[in-house]
Amino acid sequence: MASYLVSIATFAGIYAILTLGLNVMWGLTGMINLGLAGFFAVGAYASALVTTALGAPIWLGFATSAVAAALAGAVLTASTLRLRGDYLAIVTLGFAELVRLIASNEIWLTRGTDGISGIPGPLRGALSPADFNLLYFGLVVLGAGAVLVLTQRIAFSPFGRVLRSIRDDDGVAAVAGKHVARFKIAAFALGSAILGLAGAFYAHYTSYIAPDIFRPLITIYIFLALTAGGTGNGVGALVGALIVMAILEGTRFLAAEIPGLSGVQTAALREFTIGAALIVIMRVRPRGLIPEPVPMLGPATGGGREARP
Amino acid sequence: MAAQIAQLIVNGLITGALLALPTIGFTTVFAVLRFPNFALASHVTIGAFAGYVANVSLGLPIVASVLVAFAVAGASGAATDEWVLKPLRPYGALTAAIASIALTVALENVVRFSFGNELRAYDVPLYRDWRFLGVRLGPQQVENGLLAAAAVAALFAFLRFTRIGKAMRAVADNPTLASIKGIDADLVGRLVAFVAMGLAGVGGMLVGLNSSIDPLTGFRVILSVFAGAVVGGLGSVPGAVVGALVVGIGEELSLVVWDPTYRSAFGFLAILLVLTFRPRGLLGERAY
Amino acid sequence: MTKARFATTRRTVLGGAAAGAVLLGAPALLRAQQGPVVMAALNPLTGAGGNYGPGMLATIQAAAQAANDAGGIDGREIELVSEDTQTSPEAAVRAARKIIDVDQAIAIMGTWASSVTTAVAPLCWESRTMLSAVSGADSITRLPHDGYFFRTQPTTTLQIDAATRFMLDQGAEKIAYIGPQTPFTQDSIDMMGEIALGAGKSFDSLIYEADKASYGSEADQILHGEPDFLFLGGYTPDVTVLLKDLFRAGYEQRMLAFAYAVNQALVESLPQDVTNGIYVFSPTPAVDSQAYQRVQEILGADVKVDPYSAQTYDQANLMILAAAAGEPTGTGIRDALRTVSQGDGETVDNVADGLGLLAEGKSIQYSGASGPCDFDNRGDIREVPFLFEQVQDGSFEVVERR
Repeated sequence: MASYLVSIATFAGIYAILTLGLNVMWGLTGMINLGLAGFFAVGAYASALVTTALGAPIWLGFATSAVAAALAGAVLTASTLRLRGDYLAIVTLGFAELVRLIASNEIWLTRGTDGISGIPGPLRGALSPADFNLLYFGLVVLGAGAVLVLTQRIAFSPFGRVLRSIRDDDGVAAVAGKHVARFKIAAFALGSAILGLAGAFYAHYTSYIAPDIFRPLITIYIFLALTAGGTGNGVGALVGALIVMAILEGTRFLAAEIPGLSGVQTAALREFTIGAALIVIMRVRPRGLIPEPVPMLGPATGGGREARP
Repeated sequence: MAAQIAQLIVNGLITGALLALPTIGFTTVFAVLRFPNFALASHVTIGAFAGYVANVSLGLPIVASVLVAFAVAGASGAATDEWVLKPLRPYGALTAAIASIALTVALENVVRFSFGNELRAYDVPLYRDWRFLGVRLGPQQVENGLLAAAAVAALFAFLRFTRIGKAMRAVADNPTLASIKGIDADLVGRLVAFVAMGLAGVGGMLVGLNSSIDPLTGFRVILSVFAGAVVGGLGSVPGAVVGALVVGIGEELSLVVWDPTYRSAFGFLAILLVLTFRPRGLLGERAY
Repeated sequence: MTKARFATTRRTVLGGAAAGAVLLGAPALLRAQQGPVVMAALNPLTGAGGNYGPGMLATIQAAAQAANDAGGIDGREIELVSEDTQTSPEAAVRAARKIIDVDQAIAIMGTWASSVTTAVAPLCWESRTMLSAVSGADSITRLPHDGYFFRTQPTTTLQIDAATRFMLDQGAEKIAYIGPQTPFTQDSIDMMGEIALGAGKSFDSLIYEADKASYGSEADQILHGEPDFLFLGGYTPDVTVLLKDLFRAGYEQRMLAFAYAVNQALVESLPQDVTNGIYVFSPTPAVDSQAYQRVQEILGADVKVDPYSAQTYDQANLMILAAAAGEPTGTGIRDALRTVSQGDGETVDNVADGLGLLAEGKSIQYSGASGPCDFDNRGDIREVPFLFEQVQDGSFEVVERR
């Protein structure tokens, strides 16, 4: 049971890093990224390819993931600056699908739907599986902690204040003399880099990645995590990821307790409970369990713009 | 070559017509209730299965089954909007949108719990396509197109000529002014949810008539629906029709240029193209 | 209401953790000698593979039940745990972790998607848990699984060779492959093309995107070359759509598909005009095996046996018999597998007979519902006959066995 909990906690940690990345983009800057899975994939594939095909050391793989994802994010944002938020959503969604299609079809590059197996992990050969899992859990905790500290620093820095002002009303930010476009690209690139890092963490933990992993369902879970935990809030992001993982795994045990159901029905009941539990959390705490501590000034004019969660 | 392109355009029009109704539903909710309601996906599925029960289990003819699909999906939409989504709307469009995603997961699994994962099909005969001028078109697809057109016409008439329809447009244009004029925003909201999800349900049945249904039916089309709504201009009903057709045709035409394996991707690239030149979508925002 | 539900979740997890802690403290010997033998079914109960999972689970459950009715493994009951892969490698890995660490199963059976199997395999060989799958990707058996894996799905080579030669023998002149992208698509196309062109016939191929609501244009494209024998490489959901579109496009020539794709569910959901004449093929049991009939009984007389369900029935039987012949552990099954699946023993086709003979100290040779079940040392099926059937008026008529 202990190694199961360690493993689940490791996955929760990776989800937490993803949620922190989303928090920089959406929570802080108000940019909707429905293509999280795509940046997660870019990071995972970058590190996997660099360490397997080119034999690079793992730390270099991680660095490559962050850079590759950041580049992708920067390019995507730069080309869609004129678009309103909702339209950025559709473009990021398209990006994720495109990444998945490329990963599936360009077999020469990504080994296609077969996926890449045998991705190395730190000290994987030297340690027993149980010890490796424990070590990796520690690494993920360190990673998530580092990302949390970094994003909290940014959130409370002058840079972060500009981001929040862009989120709340980018017209005002522009009038205040801030070069909105540059900040948006920087924020999105930073968020993407974090998403890419999560991808690297995933690849080196499980030693196998395939296009099937990077489906919209993961994006859904991360959005739910950030909303449930508290948008705009680093600690909220962490808590949200833990809650989502607890619900995902906890419902497994719960659903098994219900007698008289067929396999499909048990599985359907479990997924139903996941959706329902998150709805309940949102109804009870709509601003998330740990709402953003920074006080929000209401909109200057009444009506029209609703307050951000 | 010309015949080949003509065929692709016809195929695209057919696919677009199927998706037009759910796209209208999506954009209408956005216009009046002001948030993207992703629970539309599960209502496409709910309508498809309601129509299935009507057609196969109860033996009703197609048109009657379509009405059943509309009613059941609409009722579910109104109820879930009232009790799940409406209380969250004051906290922002995105909070409501995220809740709608959780809702769609839950509802899809209600369908799965009740019916299992097997593919099912309606009780309709299948015919070979008719051919004119090197282009082929199926009788079922013509029927689907007519059903979709009838639904759209009915909707336009409803919005233009009935009191309630006008009230919906008023709330969409300016909710403050509408409430000053005594329009009950809550009632309008419930009606919008009912009609929009009902249309999604009809769309689901049309997709099912074209192929088959299973719990994932709605989930598979939601990306194209969202894309069509954005291309047409979020909030515009005529835009939704145009957008759905554009996305449908765009995906088919992409086959001329590239591999069928990248079909969806080209759909999105087409969207990017449209949005680059017209950032508000083809028919702008909330054009009635 | 919120608090109660939330608390239950926490309580259950904490309760489980507490129980786990107690279990970890108990002496290993005590745990091994008493209590049930835990095995697991890990199938796609939701997601893209969702229409196959329930059938696979049903036959695994039936095999375990039959074994328990016959006294279990050395008097110990078999406890079967079931989890959903959600047809996602990420979800499957978490499910496998729970199965291995919490349930402490000695065997995991019935993974379907190749990416799922490849993702779960390292967890199994690292924890010395036996894994069996119905996945087709050739790369899986080349993983360093150290014997902790076998599969009942024939390799691409075996399948495509048999399929192409059948089409050629039926007089095909222009063969075309149409299917979605999967780990075996490119290999299949390459191989089929090589055989067809080598026989002087023409060959064309098209890969489409899965999960689409219509394939009208793809149908037009592949029919452009006027093939007289189409090979459908997809699964039930996309093949259902494709068949309708091929029919509408006016295609009237021959087609061959995997029996798991054009299965009874598909045939019942489409008009007979559309499905009449389609050939299907699947790996088939040895002539004298009754296992297929047993699976038929499990699934019901009016349900045609799905190839995947037949395979998982065999997987469960083999795991149980190997555990009984050797030790009821993952390593025990690995070491004893081939002593019960092939060799010189008495042929058995069900678990009750097999357990009985093993108890008497005799050696057995299992011959199953999906084939003779003889494995090479990589875990692949050695050789298997294929059954070719044709859909006629909503049912399947045998054409040939080769």
